[in-house]
Amino acid sequence: MNRFPKWVIHLGLGIICAAMMVPFYWVLKTSLTGENIFAYPPALIPENPHLFYYVDVWYSIPFFRYLVNSVIVSIIVVVANVVLNAMAGFALTREFMGKGAIIMLFLSCMMIPFQVTIIPAYLITKEIGLLNSHLGMALPLCSTIVCIFVFKASFDAIPKSLIDAARIDGVPDWMIIFRIMVPLSQSAIATNIILAFIWSWNNFLWPLIIIRDNDMQTLPLGLARFLTVVEDSTGALYAFCIMVLVPGLVIFLLAQKQFIAGLTSGAAKG
Amino acid sequence: MALAIRRKRTRELLLIWFFLAPSLLIFLLYRIIPLLWNGVLSFEFWSPYKPAEFAGLYHYEEMLIYDDVFWQAFWNTAIFMASAPIGILIALMVAILVDTPIRGRNVYRTIVFMSYPVMTVAVGIIWQWLYNEKVGLFNYVLMSLGIVEQGIPFLETASLALPAVIVASIWQVLGFYMIVLLTGLQNIQPSLYEAAAIDGANAWMRFRRITLPLLRPSIFLCFVIGIINSFTNFDLIYVMTDGGPSHATELLVTYIYRVAFKLAKFDYAAALTIVNFLFFVFLAWLANRLSGGEAGAVETG
Repeated sequence: MNRFPKWVIHLGLGIICAAMMVPFYWVLKTSLTGENIFAYPPALIPENPHLFYYVDVWYSIPFFRYLVNSVIVSIIVVVANVVLNAMAGFALTREFMGKGAIIMLFLSCMMIPFQVTIIPAYLITKEIGLLNSHLGMALPLCSTIVCIFVFKASFDAIPKSLIDAARIDGVPDWMIIFRIMVPLSQSAIATNIILAFIWSWNNFLWPLIIIRDNDMQTLPLGLARFLTVVEDSTGALYAFCIMVLVPGLVIFLLAQKQFIAGLTSGAAKG
Repeated sequence: MALAIRRKRTRELLLIWFFLAPSLLIFLLYRIIPLLWNGVLSFEFWSPYKPAEFAGLYHYEEMLIYDDVFWQAFWNTAIFMASAPIGILIALMVAILVDTPIRGRNVYRTIVFMSYPVMTVAVGIIWQWLYNEKVGLFNYVLMSLGIVEQGIPFLETASLALPAVIVASIWQVLGFYMIVLLTGLQNIQPSLYEAAAIDGANAWMRFRRITLPLLRPSIFLCFVIGIINSFTNFDLIYVMTDGGPSHATELLVTYIYRVAFKLAKFDYAAALTIVNFLFFVFLAWLANRLSGGEAGAVETG
């Protein structure tokens, strides 16, 4: 592809990037200048930007409550994912009877999208009394097959001689795990944290089904409800959008490298 | 001595199963039991308020023969899926462009990828706004260029609603395709291109003979993601059109949600789920066959 002059490439990428950024820009602009909503033609550059709509959102709906709910669920999911996936990944590095069957079971579970299990999943959650609860929202997301295999690969890559040497020195097994295996699996842990956070932060269908109380709504639910309830306050709706998007984007930009590496390493082995 | 070794071995086995148990329990509770339960439910008359009764193939007959909305949702899902190559093609072009050694390519990559981690509900709201009949950006551009006289209500027009939602969906997933394809491109040995260039192959031939064949696993992976995406894209539809107008954007997953949680017909929704799942498995199998049977395999050793 060297035959293109550089400016052509820059131009092509410029157009694509503009197309990717325009929706973000448009919503940001609208959230800052509500008065232009019904003006025609719409101004391309915000006039008299202000933050009133953000203040509106904060006070007109229990935004803080939604935020706390989202954060609680995300914390449960992230912690559970790292701990449980690491445990399962570690177990799969050992030899035991039925290991092949367990791996087959995990792989076939991957073929069952969560969306096709929602009805019995709802009934089961009802049976164990977790409707309308943080734990109920978090539980289905608490372990992920892709990340189990990421951990397994990471543990497998640790040289056996290192562990044997520690054993000979009389280091107990649990200390081997915390002092050798965990520090050497930092990238797997980072990948898992980021993925689990994004999944739980953006999760919508499951909370929509099991949450009835207003007090238990998470941010995506609040956003979707806001859309149907308040039709005339477009500026506030877009301010709400921006407030919900920012945490995800910030986390992504901070951890971009691991995020992208994690996505591709977890997914691509073909 | 033998006893000590045996005891140690038992302890290790206990530890292994103890480590596996929580994950296994979650998958059992939220994947395997639900799937089996769906199967049972689909052959029963059942609602939360009355005891189950055997229904045979009643729900399946109802669905396949009499339910027009089911077929609509089925075809919409298929169309949604068939649109995946468009996104993959655009992503391939972008991936090739950002793979060239130009200044600022990391910035370009980041910008293209930024739409992926964004909350889908928010994406739906933003795009609904862009499509707005009176104040949406699309109509503004179309009217400014003099292509249309009046704003088009994209999401309220039956023939335009599904393509409109698909465009939004491609916008969101484009960056992810790009990263997968870029990884594939970077794994191709540069020496292959050099050798081909010495042999007199032009850029197009190098692309056809080297890039495309070696990129096949990555392209396949994008297809799989596209298929999964078309089966699970609930949030976007729910926010943008809620399946309307008159089921023009209904997907199987939104229809299942509607039947189960709006109409409380859990048994019928279970039958829908089983058909949805079989369709999904069939496609995954087909894709795997077409790609040579090896793709997507995870090293199990």
